[in-house]
Amino acid sequence: MAGPALPRSLARWLTPGPGDGPAALAGAVIAVPVVSVLLAAIFLGGGEAWDHIRSTLLVPYLGGTVGTLVLATIFMLMFAVPAAWLVTMHEFPGRAAFEWLLILPLAAPGYVLAYAWGDLMGVGGPLQTALRDMTGWAARDYWFPSMRSLPGLAFVLASGLYPYVYLTARAGFVSQSVCALEAARSLGASPLSSFWNVALPAARPAIAAGLALSLMESAADYGAAEFLGVPTLTFGIVRAWKSFGEPAAAARLAVVLLVLVVGLVMAERWSRGRAGSQQSSTRWRTVSRTRLGGVAGWLAAAFCLTGFTIGFVLPVSRLVWRALETQESIAPVGEALKNTLILAGAGAAFAMVLALVIALAGRGKGPGAAFARLTASSAYAIPGAVLALGALVVLGGFGLTLTGLVPVAALAWVYASRFTAAGAEPMVAALDRAPASLGQAAQSLGATPWRRAKEVDLPIALSGASAGALILFVESLKELPATLMLRPFNWDTLAVRAHAYATDERLAAAALPALLITAAGLIPVILLSWRLSHARPGEAA
Amino acid sequence: MIKDTLSARGVSRRYDDTTVVEDVSLKLKPGLITALLGGSGAGKSTLLRLFAGLEPVDAGEIWLGERALSKPGMTIAPDKRHIGLIFQDFALFPHLTAEQNVMFGLKALGKEAATAEARSWLERLDLTARAGAYPHELSGGEQQRVAIARALAPKPAAILMDEPFSGLDPALRSYVRDAALEAVRAAGIPALLVTHDPLEALESADHVAILKSGHLLQEGPAEEMYLQPRSADVAAALGPVNVMMADEVPAGLIDVPAGSQLVVRPEGILVEDSSPSRAQVVASQLSGGMTRLVLDMAGRRLIALVPRAGAPGAGHEIGIRLDPALSFIFPSAQV
Repeated sequence: MAGPALPRSLARWLTPGPGDGPAALAGAVIAVPVVSVLLAAIFLGGGEAWDHIRSTLLVPYLGGTVGTLVLATIFMLMFAVPAAWLVTMHEFPGRAAFEWLLILPLAAPGYVLAYAWGDLMGVGGPLQTALRDMTGWAARDYWFPSMRSLPGLAFVLASGLYPYVYLTARAGFVSQSVCALEAARSLGASPLSSFWNVALPAARPAIAAGLALSLMESAADYGAAEFLGVPTLTFGIVRAWKSFGEPAAAARLAVVLLVLVVGLVMAERWSRGRAGSQQSSTRWRTVSRTRLGGVAGWLAAAFCLTGFTIGFVLPVSRLVWRALETQESIAPVGEALKNTLILAGAGAAFAMVLALVIALAGRGKGPGAAFARLTASSAYAIPGAVLALGALVVLGGFGLTLTGLVPVAALAWVYASRFTAAGAEPMVAALDRAPASLGQAAQSLGATPWRRAKEVDLPIALSGASAGALILFVESLKELPATLMLRPFNWDTLAVRAHAYATDERLAAAALPALLITAAGLIPVILLSWRLSHARPGEAA
Repeated sequence: MIKDTLSARGVSRRYDDTTVVEDVSLKLKPGLITALLGGSGAGKSTLLRLFAGLEPVDAGEIWLGERALSKPGMTIAPDKRHIGLIFQDFALFPHLTAEQNVMFGLKALGKEAATAEARSWLERLDLTARAGAYPHELSGGEQQRVAIARALAPKPAAILMDEPFSGLDPALRSYVRDAALEAVRAAGIPALLVTHDPLEALESADHVAILKSGHLLQEGPAEEMYLQPRSADVAAALGPVNVMMADEVPAGLIDVPAGSQLVVRPEGILVEDSSPSRAQVVASQLSGGMTRLVLDMAGRRLIALVPRAGAPGAGHEIGIRLDPALSFIFPSAQV
């Protein structure tokens, strides 16, 4: 099979279609911010700020990011993988609900969880107050775990991002042939040993993919780190630009962060290795879940409930409580909401245009489209702060300042650069699912390539576009560091407003915008969980 | 060493309100391959899963020799049964090489002995060169052979095969099947081969059992089943048949009591020019080594398989008679 495929794809590379030029241009638009950061880091020199940062701050920044990622990895693996295994292979009280409830923490961005957890665990928070009331101690009489620490940051990020690991682990378990597990049992392996020796290794690449995704998000976090006072690379990038006014120094920090992200991507690739994870032939049989009776069943339910409570119930209900406590600042939120909708809408619209251009170029398979898809999926891994920095470097190069429409366009560009992959990939997938003969039929009926793209491929691609557009919109809306760096003067979005209030210790005022962001984030998450419960490979015979 | 018989005694299995297997008793004797034949939804795979302990019985019992494996409310786990399984999708562990797959069930031997044992199995199945390959790097036939080696290597007390050959390229199928079943037979243990292909059942099994809608219709040695079916269903399950009600049988062909039905295998229709029963040849085509005739006899369509040499062409009128050994009369009016 591999034999004839290679020459054909080669031939395709040598004969670009009419859509490839625009697709390559779209790829370039996506790539410019990150490329300009790299160029700035190499050619602009670091200045005095860089010397200072390198000698006193680089190690804490790097240590903060790496330490957070390592701890978050441990937290997420300890919860998400067993939870996915319980939910896919066992029957216990509440299992069907947990299957989708466990995804909900994705709705709230890390900074929102950080505000809530910082408040919950703080000296004046409900937990410590209750402890003091019960014991009669004063605040100095006891030790209490602090959220404003590296473990606290890792905990907060992990509690919101574990669903990525849960989702891919679950998919990894579901897509395994149940027969392989039964074969293991028939060869004398106990249920635990079949999990450890068969299910887990086979799901490892899927788990690694989810872990890589959540770690990239963790590395990109700015808001939670700043709020909890943990120095990280992303925090450093924003600060180098904001406090030192040194884009070049920020760019050098960004390169360190990029190396880390590329390392994550490579580690994920490497983890796939040569061993396969999928059955080469697939025959699905109804997953017959093992019933966990009595105490075991309730323990499983309690385990899942713990993760859901930590990632969603506790922080969200704390914010709701805080928002209800006060009637403060409803009007300013209206203004911020409008700004958010404009900026996120512009970003999503621009990203969708780029995504369409990419998807329609030879159904996302032509050389230009392949280049654009590669840059888009790479840019997806790059922290917003880095891309914003790149945009600032480009604007600076052209002598443009953040006035008038320039910042709106720049933000739309950065959002699109980061999130186009989320719009393009579903469209390419929709086109992939449609039989290739559709295009050939159109051709045989005398349709020009242009007409074929417009009347055949476009409607098919759009069928996969709505979910992608929604994700783009919500991701743009949640984005904090890039928005903070590029927003027009006095234009606060919900995220910026929430962050400003929270860092001013006005959590009651931050609660409402934070909840609005979370509510918007819930829409794609609910859509995702709906799909999950309606299409289950391996469940339908 | 005397091997034990694996037997089902009156087992039933229900899902919600549907009974999938109903009161089935079947003995799998050591050294014999028993084919379990039936259409889709007949309950074949479920019966196999009951034998394997992958599902509990709702009624009846499963025994291996003198040891009860399943009773209502008691199911010995699959890993405690020592029964080998071979699946249609082979179910090789994707993260393990061919050799590691075979070694999986040999843990008790210790690493060195397990490696040696696995290698000898791979050699027996002509897979030595592929020992280090991962499942996705193997062809379908190779995967199949690894699955057989993996199932047989721990010297199981019985082996159960769920449509193990239907995923294979038809051109390779009989070659792979012969090699695989040779190894199974050599193990001298009870073997169950679930299949929906009557030809496969007849060609490769010693014993055939026919399941329909969860009921065991008939079981016996393969040849006996083919030549002495107890019902039209059994006859039809083992290969194509012509079925006619008594009043549809053209006069002079054979006497069929009123209310009974006639079931004739295509090769049971013989061309005999002197016969007074005349038929028109509508179509005449090669079918493997034989010629397949579509006949019209007084408005009835009949299918006949006749030797290629001297087979009549389309448009001819011929005389036919029935081979009594391949023509069956059943009292039931139901097909």
